[in-house]
Order: sequence, then C-alpha cells, then structure tokens
Amino acid sequence: MSRRDVFLFLCLVVTAVTIQVALLPLFIRPPFKPDLLLIIMVFVALRGTSDTCVPLAWTLGMINDIYSGLYFGLNAATFLISFLVIKSVSDRLYADSAILFVLTVSCVTLAVFAMNLLLTIMFTATPGITYSMISDIFPRILVNAFVASIVSSFHGFDEKVESA
Amino acid sequence: MDFLKKYLYPILTGVVILAALLVFSLNIPGNREANIIERAVLNILSPLLQPVSFAGRFFQESWDGYVQLVNTQRENIQLKEDIRKLNLRIVEGNEAFLANQRLERLLVMKKSVKAPTIAATVTGEDVTPWFRTLIINRGSSDGIREGMAVISADGIVGQTVKVSSSTSRVLLLTDHASGISATIQRSRARGVVKGKGEMLCSLEFATLEEDVKVGDIVISSGIGGIFLKGLPIGEVTMVKRGEYGIFQTISIRPKVNTAHLEEVLVVERGGYE
Repeated sequence: MSRRDVFLFLCLVVTAVTIQVALLPLFIRPPFKPDLLLIIMVFVALRGTSDTCVPLAWTLGMINDIYSGLYFGLNAATFLISFLVIKSVSDRLYADSAILFVLTVSCVTLAVFAMNLLLTIMFTATPGITYSMISDIFPRILVNAFVASIVSSFHGFDEKVESA
Repeated sequence: MDFLKKYLYPILTGVVILAALLVFSLNIPGNREANIIERAVLNILSPLLQPVSFAGRFFQESWDGYVQLVNTQRENIQLKEDIRKLNLRIVEGNEAFLANQRLERLLVMKKSVKAPTIAATVTGEDVTPWFRTLIINRGSSDGIREGMAVISADGIVGQTVKVSSSTSRVLLLTDHASGISATIQRSRARGVVKGKGEMLCSLEFATLEEDVKVGDIVISSGIGGIFLKGLPIGEVTMVKRGEYGIFQTISIRPKVNTAHLEEVLVVERGGYE
C-alpha cells in the first residue's frame, strides 16, 4: 500500500467510526445500525492484495472493541478469524462481484455474531445476553447487506473485463 | 414709419396680451362649456390620446411588473435570508430553553447528591447493539476514574468504565454486565439490579418472602461503594412468584431513558485506583 492509500484508508476508518458512534445513534435504533467496520474488513479481505491486511483486520476489530461493550479483543479475534477464512478462499472467487460482496457481508455478520456469542458465553458472566444478541441479529444482517449493496454500487464492482 | 419701426414689438406684445385678455373675458360667462376651439382641439387629439394612454399604461405596468422586480427579487432574497436567520434564532432559542430545563433538573439532582460531581455531555454510543455503553466528554484529566457512578436528573445511568484522558465510557445499568445493589423503597427488600438489554432490568436475588409489588420504586442500597444510597433506579413492572425456587422474578423499568440522554453527572466518589 502506498502512503496515499494508507492515508485514505485511515480517513475511511475514522469517518466510519465517527458516523457509527456519534451520528447514527441519533437517527437509527441500535439493531438497525450498520456495522461499517465489518463491511470495510470484508472489502479488504476480498479485494486486498497485501499480507499487511491481516493485522489490519485485527486492528479494525480492536477499534470496534474500543467503542463497544466491556470485552476488549472480542471483535478483534472474530474479525481476524473471519478475515483469514475469507482470505483463504478469495483467490478462487470472482471478488469483483457485487453479489458476492453482499453475500459475504451477510455471512460474516452471522459468523461474527456466532463467534461473539460463543466467546461471550464461554468467558464472561452475562447470562441474558444470548436473547439480546439473537433478537438483534436478523435486522443487523439485513442492514449490513443493504449497506454492502450500496457500497457495491460504487465504482470498482462488476466492471466489464475487456477481451484480449 | 420710424415710429412704427421703433415701437412695433411693444405694440404687438400689448395687442397680443389684450387679445388674450379679451378671449379670457369673453369666455368667463360660459366657462363650463367648451368653446369652438376647445372642441376642435379635443376632437382632433382624442384619437391619439387613447393609444398613447394605453401605451403609457403598458409601459408603466411593464416597469412596475418586470423592470422594478429586479429590486423586488433582491429584496425577496434579503427577506428570505432574514427569515432563515430568524428561524435559526428561534430554533436556537428553543434548544437553549430545553437545555436550560434539563440542566435545571440536573442541578436539583446535583444538589441532592452528597458528593462532588462532574457534569458531562454524551458524545456517542456503543457501536454494537448488544452492549449498552455511552461515551462522555470527560476523562481522567477531569478526575474521573473507572468505577464512578454516573447519574442523570431522573436517577442512576450506570458507572464509568474504560477511562481515557479526555473521554470515558459509561456502562449503562441496562447492560448485561451491569449489577447494582438495590432496595425496594417501600418495603426495604433487597436485591441486585441486573441489566437485561434494551430499556429493561431485573431485580435478582429477592427471596419469595420479600414484599415486592408492581409500581414499587427501586433505589440504590449504597452497598458496594459505587452508588450513593437512595438514588432512584427504576420502577417494578412485573413480579412473578413461582411454586419452586427461592427467588422471585422481578422486572424493572429504569427511571432514566438512556436513548435520549444528553447531559449526565459523574459522582466523584469511589472508583478503582
């Protein structure tokens, strides 16, 4: 990644966090807030080329943890696992596909939810959290898929490849 | 002849004036009727007057309706800008009025708390929906430490966790990880208020023998050292006593509406070192 790319990426992450923490809560109820960092992580996993993206995914999860709940490292771990799984298969997929992006975001939302739930139940004393998490997951998947579909409408997805 | 040449101009002037006066004097008796000259002139000029009058009116209307509208448009823009500014002032005034009301209530609470407090503004919320935390604009540089009570005008909001120098996160009493030692105000029955997610809490460990009714006010018991005794927590909305077991199932609606919190007080007491 060039310095310009790093700078743009930092701006994107800061903007996403600011929107999610300070702006969206004013207008949207918690279950309908999109997980912008997760969407960025999926985008990086599908389209990123460099190995430096691995710590990047962990960092994105960590940033999510800084502004969420009590358990620092929870989302960092689940983001990293999700990232590695996507990365392991992304070479065999048509990563430019908008549908694939939306589908991956939906699946990763579900996977992150499942891993967060499992880790929370195993390692924390929050007995009633299962119900809260399950009741929120379906709107969350739909909202994330919706935002992913908006992102996929930008330049760079489903571009026609020029035949040789 | 020399005489005429010399005085021709004054003589003519006198004759003309005399004629004019003559005409005038002759017309005095019938001054309301048009004489022949008047009628002739009126008749000759009347076909011209109408179109010229129409043209004049058309020009006047064009001037007033179009050319002068340049100024009107400018004036309109200015007035619209004035209205926008005035509306903005009204909105600001209303906002200041509402903020004043909220702060007044907060001040009443501040006076009732027997410990120093720090006022803070809510600047953000948790990024995920399954945890209940808030971000406030005060941190360790203001004297805040982890484990300090956070209250609003209506009662307990939660406690501080994860404090940085300029901001802190507040674990709301509705979070699943939150637990506050509480007492029923009427019967002095004791228990622990645990968070149950969005806008709900439960009173745990209240035995079947304890006297708890729907509508009872739940206050902090002061045990634990974080929350001062007697701060309002919520109201009992449901009590269920099963045949088996030793505890009742009690639901509580918190007094504080955490979704609309803007200003809070951090009680400068206790806290973890």
